[in-house]
Amino acid sequence: MTEAAVPRASFGRTFWTNAIFAPRTTLGFMRIDFVLGTIFVIPLTQMVFFTFVVQLSGGANTSVDGLTQLQFTALGNAVATVTYSSVFSVCQTTDSEKQQGTMEHILVSPASRLALYFGRGLIPILISLATVSVGLAYAFLLFGVPVSASALPALAVSVVLTAFAMVGFGLLLGGVALYLRTSIILGNIFLFAGLLLSGVNFPLSALPGPLQYAGYALPLTWGLAAIRAAVLGQGLGSLGVLWAAVAAAAAISFGSAIALWEVFERRALATGSIARF
Amino acid sequence: MEAFEASRRRSTSASLRLALLQFVADPQWLIPSMIAPVIFGLVSFELFRGYGPYFLTYAILGAGMMSMWGQTLYGSGWATGQDRVFGTLEPTMQAPTPYLYVVLGRVIWNVLSGLLGGLIVYVVVVGAAGGPPALPDPVAFVVLFLFVMLTLAAVGVVFAAFYVYTRYAGFIQNIGEFAFYVGTGCMFPVVLLPFWTNPIALFFPPTWALDALRYASIPGYVGFSWGFWPDLAGAVATTAAYLALAGSIFHRVERHVLEVGNLADY
Repeated sequence: MTEAAVPRASFGRTFWTNAIFAPRTTLGFMRIDFVLGTIFVIPLTQMVFFTFVVQLSGGANTSVDGLTQLQFTALGNAVATVTYSSVFSVCQTTDSEKQQGTMEHILVSPASRLALYFGRGLIPILISLATVSVGLAYAFLLFGVPVSASALPALAVSVVLTAFAMVGFGLLLGGVALYLRTSIILGNIFLFAGLLLSGVNFPLSALPGPLQYAGYALPLTWGLAAIRAAVLGQGLGSLGVLWAAVAAAAAISFGSAIALWEVFERRALATGSIARF
Repeated sequence: MEAFEASRRRSTSASLRLALLQFVADPQWLIPSMIAPVIFGLVSFELFRGYGPYFLTYAILGAGMMSMWGQTLYGSGWATGQDRVFGTLEPTMQAPTPYLYVVLGRVIWNVLSGLLGGLIVYVVVVGAAGGPPALPDPVAFVVLFLFVMLTLAAVGVVFAAFYVYTRYAGFIQNIGEFAFYVGTGCMFPVVLLPFWTNPIALFFPPTWALDALRYASIPGYVGFSWGFWPDLAGAVATTAAYLALAGSIFHRVERHVLEVGNLADY
């Protein structure tokens, strides 16, 4: 049998297999109770926490980028909760593979890495969409963030792009974690870093210069800016720029994730150190 | 009787020693529980900036408590969960020493490492603020801060018992994290919350202790209307109740899981 005749799993089969099995096996926090808690409980409690901090400061009604500080914070945290499902759980897949002893099997399989990666990202993207949607509903209904019906289509585009970009970022961190002993530290850092660096609670301009640059490197910053612009009903001109930035962040994240995976995979196979954790 | 006590002491000290050695072997594990408190402290400081000199104390207290919560409760729950995964929970439960004394050693270490975490939070937030907070009585602040640690440890011991019983420790920790922060008023006074939440918050010793600590360290603070001393008395009473209940709860949980025989399921 020639090499060409060896049966190989198709792109579609690898994609769907990963999409279906990853949530049950390697994606941390993907049990149904965790998922429901992530979608319905975490956004509400996180928003309540930070809005009460704002209320205590006495600056709840201060104007910030077209919203009051309270609305700004509520909207920011509604979107920021997307990191639980998109970054933290996706990033942990690498750890799970190592602990369950399946990493070596994946590395010696001929399966398309692209299909594998995109497949794993499918359910987190859907959960991220649900999380942001519920968070936005809380922001509009409970925290008085104003939104008009005409802004909803642009808002939907912004939310979908943000979910894709954030899952791509989670996969990128998962690729880095291939080389590390554990991804938990990386996951924890980026789970919360956005709260400080992405303009979730206050405008990026309040940060020192170097931290502002760090913030601009995070997809959440652009996604959040696009969602805020959509809520404020900004025109397609400024929204288009932000959508392009979010799409670019998503493309860079997915591309870097695959590139990193290849680099570290080669290195791991050369050194035989892949199972260390 | 003496033999039993010696065994319990040895179990606690061995558990404490093992927790210490695991930390020394891999101290990076302090980082996950430090990230959130440091970032929350910095975010709160930025939100409070310009609104008064005592808001820095709010940020430090809140972030410090989060750090201790992370170490005390996460540490206890994580250790029991790992016991279950590694298959060491059953042999430990079958040992003649009650599991409470094993957990106690871990909780003691978690309290100590929580203090270290609190110190790191203090240094980072003070560094960002450019100076220490204005404290009317620094000694009282430190003493009461340590007392808040004790109240958290009391909650940690009781939670640890439920972690033996439940397979949802991770769920409780992750989903309940912000709810606990809100409910106990770690960054703002509980009286800001809707009134119906206040009685629930008072079931937790840290709610009382933190209110007392703020009365002692923030001039003009408006917390529970009864003031500092009743807060302190409430904190002592609820902490004592938690510690007293812990033994009984552990005993019942141990009996139940041994009867049901499903300890290894997860």
